Amino acid sequence: MFNLIGIELFKIITKPRSYLGFLAITLIILLIQFAFYIDGKQYLDFVFQSLQNSFQIEGNVMNGSLICFIILQMLIVQMPLLIALVTGDLVSGEAASGTIRMLLSKPYSRSQILWAKYIAGSIYTFALIAWLGILALGLGLLIFGNGDLVVLKSDELVILRADDVLWRFLTAFFVAFLSLSMVTTFSLMLSCFTDNSITPIVASMSVIIIFTIIGTLDVPLFDKIKPALFTTHMIIWRNLFDNPLPMEQIIQSLSVIVLHIAVFLSIAFWHFNRKDIQN
Amino acid sequence: MRTLLLLVGITMSVEMTMAQTAKETIARVNQHFAKVKDYAADIAMNFQIPGVNIEPISGKVYYKTPDKFRVKTKGIVFLPKQNPYYALAMLKDTNAYTAILSGNEKTGNSNCAIINVIPNSETDLILGKFWIDNARGVVMKSQLTTKSNGTIMVENRYGNMLTYALPDKIVFTVDMTKFKVPKAVAVDLNSKSKKSNNESNKGTGTIELQFSNYALNKQLKDEVFTQE
Repeated sequence: MFNLIGIELFKIITKPRSYLGFLAITLIILLIQFAFYIDGKQYLDFVFQSLQNSFQIEGNVMNGSLICFIILQMLIVQMPLLIALVTGDLVSGEAASGTIRMLLSKPYSRSQILWAKYIAGSIYTFALIAWLGILALGLGLLIFGNGDLVVLKSDELVILRADDVLWRFLTAFFVAFLSLSMVTTFSLMLSCFTDNSITPIVASMSVIIIFTIIGTLDVPLFDKIKPALFTTHMIIWRNLFDNPLPMEQIIQSLSVIVLHIAVFLSIAFWHFNRKDIQN
Repeated sequence: MRTLLLLVGITMSVEMTMAQTAKETIARVNQHFAKVKDYAADIAMNFQIPGVNIEPISGKVYYKTPDKFRVKTKGIVFLPKQNPYYALAMLKDTNAYTAILSGNEKTGNSNCAIINVIPNSETDLILGKFWIDNARGVVMKSQLTTKSNGTIMVENRYGNMLTYALPDKIVFTVDMTKFKVPKAVAVDLNSKSKKSNNESNKGTGTIELQFSNYALNKQLKDEVFTQE
């Protein structure tokens, strides 16, 4: 089984598109960090304008934690697209290139092959999140230093003390990994249904974009639909930066995510095990 | 004509007496505070600011006459724009303002004289209203109307540093505009707007400063007050 996972990982590593995600993340993070290094003070002056009229704010506000939080806010929305780009053709890519017959002729069951593909996809997802963490938090702390985290919301500021921040980030990265695993599973499921490598990638991206737009629009019409969209629960990592923690909401969203993963995986296995290989 | 002159005379003498009484009361406050050249103390801060969720924090506080004040903590704090002794420092120069005794009021357990202070020259302070404990000669409460900051209410509670007019607790109440920034600026795109049709965007923020372990007149160096 480990051998099979290794092979699947090797396939991911040898695909140039696998590096697109790392490249995009690196560029975006470096760009944001550079922008904040140069103009961060102006940005914060604008954010704190109304409060600075009445109070003097002291302490290191622009620190690595704040920059990391801003990066996560910006990037987490885009990351599912980068994930789908790789995991969307894990099965369909083989079908399209005609290598699936050879793969299935190996002494492994179809379930084992799909598990190996899923685990390899999850390792890729984990690597992407880990890279995001190293650059956004690690490099951020190195450049901007440590300090209390100012969680920016449009109508509220939550200030978390420095010693209360690291575990929140680590948990947030884990929750982000779970959320992205849901995308991995979703695109893998779609990948099992087609013999075309592009269709599941585009379909995954389209679903994520449409759901995200619906979730972002502050229109009462969509209020009832939003809880049913899996993208709504993908942003639950942000609630880890609330004080006090909305545990009920967090547990509910995590349950929805895990349930989605289980359902998508079950459908993928069910279909892949019965799939008529024609290519 | 004689009656009119008599009336004017009486009014002027009453006003002069009131001003005299007011300045005498202020002089007693100044006497207490004049004993303080500098101090260092522990400080615990508590914040009640609309739209800002911030936990209490503690640290060290330093003061040196006439107006050097610095709070050192490990985290982010919100402080009043004026230092807590801004009003007392201003009261020191009795020629710089006109003081009028406008009545008496009970504040907590103290019988206080209410003294209005109007600066003689143009300063940030437009009007100061001080509730001064007649018996103990300390400022219990002050209301400062400033050009830059609107109205600031400062309430003092005294303990064992009463003889130096140094409070154990100061509560600042500041007029403020509630925090709000565009969603795009806060990168808070997925949050839901709170319905606030009738809610005013004005509010008052409160900062509580709790002092303890005062170390008085230790000849603090100026470097303590420079920003790191």
